[in-house]
Amino acid sequence: MSRANEGYDRGLIEDFGRWREFSAGMWAWIFHKFTGWVLVGYLFTHIAVLSTAITAGSADPATLQAGNDVYTQTIQTLEGQAVVRVLEVGLLAVAVFHILNGIRLLLTDLGLGLESQDRSFYASLVLTGAIVVASVPTFIEGVSV
Amino acid sequence: MAERYSSFAPGGTGWLLQRLTAGFLIVVLAFHFFLLHFVNHAADVTFLGSADRMAQTGYFVTMILFLVTATFHGVNGVYNALLNQGLTGRSRQAVKGVLAIASLLLIVQGVRLALALQGGAL
Repeated sequence: MSRANEGYDRGLIEDFGRWREFSAGMWAWIFHKFTGWVLVGYLFTHIAVLSTAITAGSADPATLQAGNDVYTQTIQTLEGQAVVRVLEVGLLAVAVFHILNGIRLLLTDLGLGLESQDRSFYASLVLTGAIVVASVPTFIEGVSV
Repeated sequence: MAERYSSFAPGGTGWLLQRLTAGFLIVVLAFHFFLLHFVNHAADVTFLGSADRMAQTGYFVTMILFLVTATFHGVNGVYNALLNQGLTGRSRQAVKGVLAIASLLLIVQGVRLALALQGGAL
């Protein structure tokens, strides 16, 4: 058994009723699961929406040039809605946290930074927040509420 | 205090593939977000613009690898999360089958749309 697994009887993390007792590592596990579920759900939705390209591919050149094809129109209609932009900021938050905490997990699996895994979780949260806040102007650019 | 939480049994094939795909996805997901929200704004995406990107072999291959690795990583993650929740026996086999079929359909559809953007629709 690896050193990291020794000596801790943490009980089941799936017993969410114990959330008040959860430590940083357990919250990281839960957030990683939650963001993973959101991302895989989005992957299926994303491919479904972009599949309008299959229909648009048979449109005539003039329609494509004018951007009147179903692919362009679907994306631009969605992007014209403020709620979609807000959801995109949420998606960015989810993706950035999953990436940063994923790096933390890869390092942990390599035995690196075990003693500071709680601090690296907090750093992932803070960095996610900073990147998301800094990205808000780009994400809401050009949309009217 | 050193603590380790993981949904995977360390050392297994699923565990290794989950980590290998993670390493690839960290780079490609960040690239994808950056390219389509900061370099090109999502609101300005058009069929012809997407087709131009997809016409580049390197971009096309990267997107296909992105599709396959993201599907494996996501669906394998869901499967292992369900195992953690106590999924066993026939239910486990049924869920495994459904997820495998869903993955295959997603990859086929993703390849179809990538080819449509490239001008070679199936």
